[in-house]
Amino acid sequence: MITLSQRREVGEFRKRYRWMALFVALVFGGIIVRVAQVQLFQRDRWSGIAQQNITKTLELPATRGVIRDVEGRVVASNRPSYDVYATPRLLESEDLDRIASLMGLTEEESSALEARIEGLPPERRTHQIQLYRDIDRDQLAALETHLAELPGLDIVTVPLRDYPYATLGAHLIGYLNEVNEDDLQAVGDLRAYRSGDRIGRNGLEKRYEALLKGSRGFRRMVVDARGRALEGARPDSLDVQMLKKPVPGHDIQLTLDMRLMEAFDRAFRPHPSGAAVVVDIHTGAIRALYSKPVYDPNEMSSGLSTRRYAELTGDPFRPLIDKTIYETYFPGSTFKVFTALAALEDAVVDPAQRVECTGFLKIGRQKFRCNKRHEWVDLYDAVVQSCNVYFWVLAEEVGIERINRFAEAFGFAERTGIGVNSEAKGFLATREWYEEHYGAFRIGYTLNTAIGQGNTRVTVLQLAMAYAAIANGGVLYVPQVVQNVRAPDGSLSETFEPRVKHDIGISAQHLDLIRRSLVDVVQDEDGTAYRARNKDGLPVAGKTGTAQVVSRKGRSEESSSAWYLDRSHGWFAGFAPADDPQVAFAVLVEHGGSGGASAAPIAMSVMQQYFGTQEEAE
Amino acid sequence: MAIGRTIRDEFDWPLFIAVSTIALFGVLNLYSATDGGTTSDAYIQQLYWLVLGFGVAALTAAIDYRHFERYGWLIYGACVLALILVFVLGKSVRGSTRWIALGGFSLQPSELMKIGLIIALGKYLHHDTKTGGRTLVDLIIPGLICALPMALVLLQPDLGTAMILAFIFGSVMMLTQLKLRSMVTLLATFVVAAPVTWFYLLKDYQKERITAFWGRLGGTQTDLLDSGWHTHQSLVAIGSGGLTGKGFTQGTQTRFRFLPDQHTDFPFPVWAEEHGFIGALLLISLYLFLVLWSLRVASQAKDRFGAVVAVGVGAMLFWQTVVNLGMVSGLLPVVGMTLPLFSYGGSSLLSTMLGLGLLMNVSMRRFSH
Repeated sequence: MITLSQRREVGEFRKRYRWMALFVALVFGGIIVRVAQVQLFQRDRWSGIAQQNITKTLELPATRGVIRDVEGRVVASNRPSYDVYATPRLLESEDLDRIASLMGLTEEESSALEARIEGLPPERRTHQIQLYRDIDRDQLAALETHLAELPGLDIVTVPLRDYPYATLGAHLIGYLNEVNEDDLQAVGDLRAYRSGDRIGRNGLEKRYEALLKGSRGFRRMVVDARGRALEGARPDSLDVQMLKKPVPGHDIQLTLDMRLMEAFDRAFRPHPSGAAVVVDIHTGAIRALYSKPVYDPNEMSSGLSTRRYAELTGDPFRPLIDKTIYETYFPGSTFKVFTALAALEDAVVDPAQRVECTGFLKIGRQKFRCNKRHEWVDLYDAVVQSCNVYFWVLAEEVGIERINRFAEAFGFAERTGIGVNSEAKGFLATREWYEEHYGAFRIGYTLNTAIGQGNTRVTVLQLAMAYAAIANGGVLYVPQVVQNVRAPDGSLSETFEPRVKHDIGISAQHLDLIRRSLVDVVQDEDGTAYRARNKDGLPVAGKTGTAQVVSRKGRSEESSSAWYLDRSHGWFAGFAPADDPQVAFAVLVEHGGSGGASAAPIAMSVMQQYFGTQEEAE
Repeated sequence: MAIGRTIRDEFDWPLFIAVSTIALFGVLNLYSATDGGTTSDAYIQQLYWLVLGFGVAALTAAIDYRHFERYGWLIYGACVLALILVFVLGKSVRGSTRWIALGGFSLQPSELMKIGLIIALGKYLHHDTKTGGRTLVDLIIPGLICALPMALVLLQPDLGTAMILAFIFGSVMMLTQLKLRSMVTLLATFVVAAPVTWFYLLKDYQKERITAFWGRLGGTQTDLLDSGWHTHQSLVAIGSGGLTGKGFTQGTQTRFRFLPDQHTDFPFPVWAEEHGFIGALLLISLYLFLVLWSLRVASQAKDRFGAVVAVGVGAMLFWQTVVNLGMVSGLLPVVGMTLPLFSYGGSSLLSTMLGLGLLMNVSMRRFSH
């Protein structure tokens, strides 16, 4: 028999059990509270992560809408580009070396890649990030071959914006650029864009961003912890949408005619800078909106270096400025027709009454010079020959208030409402304005206003719209550049009807007189644009103008181009064909000197090409 | 015949049912955790271990525990010897040496050591009866009994098991009456030692881990690397289970291998993901019952050895469970710690069953003389 030890007194332990039980219950209670917190109160958060864990989302970018001109020529479209995305959590460090060698990265680039991946905050490591954009064909081929071995890597095909006409019309069409914080604030919908997305930055691309953009889609795959796709293994608890097809953007058709734009580009070759607008006089539809020089939209969309930006802003020909709607100029003699109409409408003048031009006009001690001695001229001759003296005499009768009132009726000093980019208002100086800024009002200011100098400033577009009103019988239209918008399925979703700004309400007889005089500016031997006429070709009507250039303060006079930049701007504004007007135009050659010699030939040649080939086509 | 009657009358049914239920849940959970993977037959192995475990427990329960008291030092000595043998014969897994091969099986002596320590402390306290309160000097010998195997386990290194040995010692010693002055001294020592350890003994990366852990717990830092990643995925599994769970074998965190060591250290998240808060509450309640039941058994024990053994086994279950659950629910840093009865693993199951056999033993003999 084995001897077992004596039973020993257990009294020392007695008091402890209750405290121990209490402690045990409290600790377990704590654990239960914690589990309840995680399972019951934080459930949605953890469920979301659990679903994210087992799904990998591939972005399916939307195709941006195509922009076409009036004849259906493609102005802005898309080409495929290949972007490289990575899910950092699924990348081993060997993978990074692998990627670097497949893509042929330099030492520097590959360490930049490594630093970028390592610098990511942990919560970002499960999300896809963009590594490279628009990789070339060799890189694409190399990566695609080994894609199966790199579960953390994805290649996404992204449509990239392409402008077949390159710089032509770039101000109007605009460009895309990477989305930034301010854009997101402005859009208000944070899910609409991701970092790295592009957004319309200027022109129509910006104006119609919401229509052009379309909406992205996605495809989700079920993956395991190592990122491998598991086909057909969809757990019941996964209640998320697995596929959302991207919706392409709307297509936009412009009123613009790119053939006309090209014709301007050719005609402007001898001149470094200028602008031209052509508008359909019956609808206000813009056929050409040409500004020279232009930046390259492809360059703008890739992001400018500070140096390049300084170069562009410092360029004396100002490529960043849209000279058709954002810059203002003295209208010069092209303005005389509005002075004439003001006088005719208010019956201040008998158009048959003649004035003698002796080559100058003396008012008090001041002597105003005409461009030549016109002898005896009536209103008609004065327009044809652009006689200043006649209009000075007329101006004294008409007064600055009437001139301004009619100029306003023709749309000056007010935005045309084209609706794209920033538009300048232009300026008409009033008597009060002169009193405020020049101390007192003098008759000389009225004389300057009458011939489009002084402080009158207009945009090229305003002038074209005003001449369209002269040509169409007095209706001022709102200029439009977009003809219609089509949904992705091809159906018309919006058509832009002509919009009349207002009927100026001017007598047909007076307009006819002005139109006839404009025809003879070109046809009459004494006309200021006679030498630019299309001999045996399309008759074009218009008014020449030569606008003085405001002395350029602060610019270096030693600059080799200084003499050039002091030259006057040449204008020609009118309509064509002269006998049956269809379009009105305004052509400005910066520093071109006389309008008859610089701007008129451009307008003649372009109109000849435009209507000439159009007739052939018919 | 006399023994048969004793077993029928005195058998601790609540204890048996609680243990069997947890073990059964464990096998089911293991089936789900490994289903479709490379270790999909693990649940069958676990069933074999369970049969063996119940056999061992039955055997342990059948022999009057006073025999264990009698051979207490021998058992303790054998366990320590096995620990030493680990360094001679042991095989290395993941940078630490914990296992010795025994025939076709691998045995983890540190697991057996827990039982060895409980028996040794029981034997010491059985013979060291004090009623007038203990001083620090009285803690020296039991302290050494604990410190020797702890040091050996730390050398392997196996921080988790060493910690459990210390917790068992601490819990058992809470049974005795320590004098107030001694308690104050202990507390003061700790207060002084903590900053010294922090500033002079801990390496920078260790400090970083601790601050990162507390930062995570406070929600001020989301450290998703290394151990933080494991805790994160564990919380995802538990949290996404919600009230009712995703259903048996339907846990996505489990099936798509987001949980680390899902059949050893992280079986609870698997369970919680598939069975929800209801399942989790049921399982936690079973553990709570088991620990409280062992305290009840201790309070009814006829002698000091029985009481110490019951409290020791209860403490072993309690601390392992709490550390494991605390770790998977993000309350404690990640240390290697299995969930008793529930985790996959032979040695851990055997030592747990041995302990539970002892508990049954004490429970069945509460009426003896």
